[in-house]
Amino acid sequence: MENFDDNEIGKLLRLKRYEQPPPGYFENFLHEFHRRQRDELLRQPIWSVLWQRLSGSLFRLNLPSLTSMPAAAAAVLVCALVITLKVHQAPEGPNVAVADGNVPASHQSVLEQLSAEPVVDHFTLSSPISSRSLGPDLSRQLNERAYTHRTSSPPRYVLDRLPVSYEPSFNF
Amino acid sequence: MDQPRTDEDQPLVARAQSGDAAAFDELVIKYSPRLYGLIYNMTSNHEDTNDMLQDVFAKAYRAIKGFRGKSSFYTWIHTIAVNMTLNFLKKRGRRYHLSLDDVDASIQHDKEFIELTSTSSPVREADLTELQRRLNEAMMKLSDEHRAVVTMFHIQGMPHAEISKILGVSEGTVRSRLFYANRQLQNYLDEFRKNPVG
Repeated sequence: MENFDDNEIGKLLRLKRYEQPPPGYFENFLHEFHRRQRDELLRQPIWSVLWQRLSGSLFRLNLPSLTSMPAAAAAVLVCALVITLKVHQAPEGPNVAVADGNVPASHQSVLEQLSAEPVVDHFTLSSPISSRSLGPDLSRQLNERAYTHRTSSPPRYVLDRLPVSYEPSFNF
Repeated sequence: MDQPRTDEDQPLVARAQSGDAAAFDELVIKYSPRLYGLIYNMTSNHEDTNDMLQDVFAKAYRAIKGFRGKSSFYTWIHTIAVNMTLNFLKKRGRRYHLSLDDVDASIQHDKEFIELTSTSSPVREADLTELQRRLNEAMMKLSDEHRAVVTMFHIQGMPHAEISKILGVSEGTVRSRLFYANRQLQNYLDEFRKNPVG
């Protein structure tokens, strides 16, 4: 008589699928599983249960996706720090003169001439300041000075004492 | 066999991960018969299988939030079951007794059973209980690792590739273990051939 070959052994072993637990076993299995879960929960210390609840809540917040948040916050802080340092270390901007003080001597004569010679035409909305006639001498002097400034030194700007945004708002 | 190509359990797994206990219950209902067969055929003891299966699902319930989907849920839960059972068998050692489930009566209509009983005289001459006892004794003579491979391949019908994923070994190792286990089973069952009625 021949031995069992691989094929027969396979067939014999497949018959073991017919070994089944008692009827109703799998229906009761889930109830038993729930009962054991409850028992296990009751045996756990309260801090362990609280920790599990907390970690569960954090998981629902999709914590892994939030792990990049500290990196992003650090990057923003570094950027802010760099910008701050740049602002403090940057060279002073173009010279700015205030209208009522520190007027350079080179401009003093022009200002004196402007105040000494009253402007003939009246300033109106239809006649903007750029079209006013300052007289031939004064115009030439101003133009020359402006041209000289452009070539030899950085431009200088004159600001109003108060920025427009600081002017009091109208009260009605 | 019916191993899913894509992880069809993903929706249930995602719900279970977000704390939906009913979704995990569905996974328990779906996999408990299959995992029961796996553990039962490795332990040959109904009571041990019952306790082990409860522990497997309890562990899976605790660990499911950490399941990242690198493998299918099917592979993941089978890996837990096999590893826990192998650990249990190491602790249990040789102190065991067979506590076998009844053979379902529908076996009488199984094509392979009919074929075996009509062509193989040892099987024909033995009754079902004797056949079951001999098979399980032969299985229990295998090492735990070899029995795991035989169970997954012959009884559960898993392909070699799936078994290699579950055990974390190469397919070559799976084939090698299977070949060795088949030879051993042939030798053990040879006694059955010589003395069919025990």
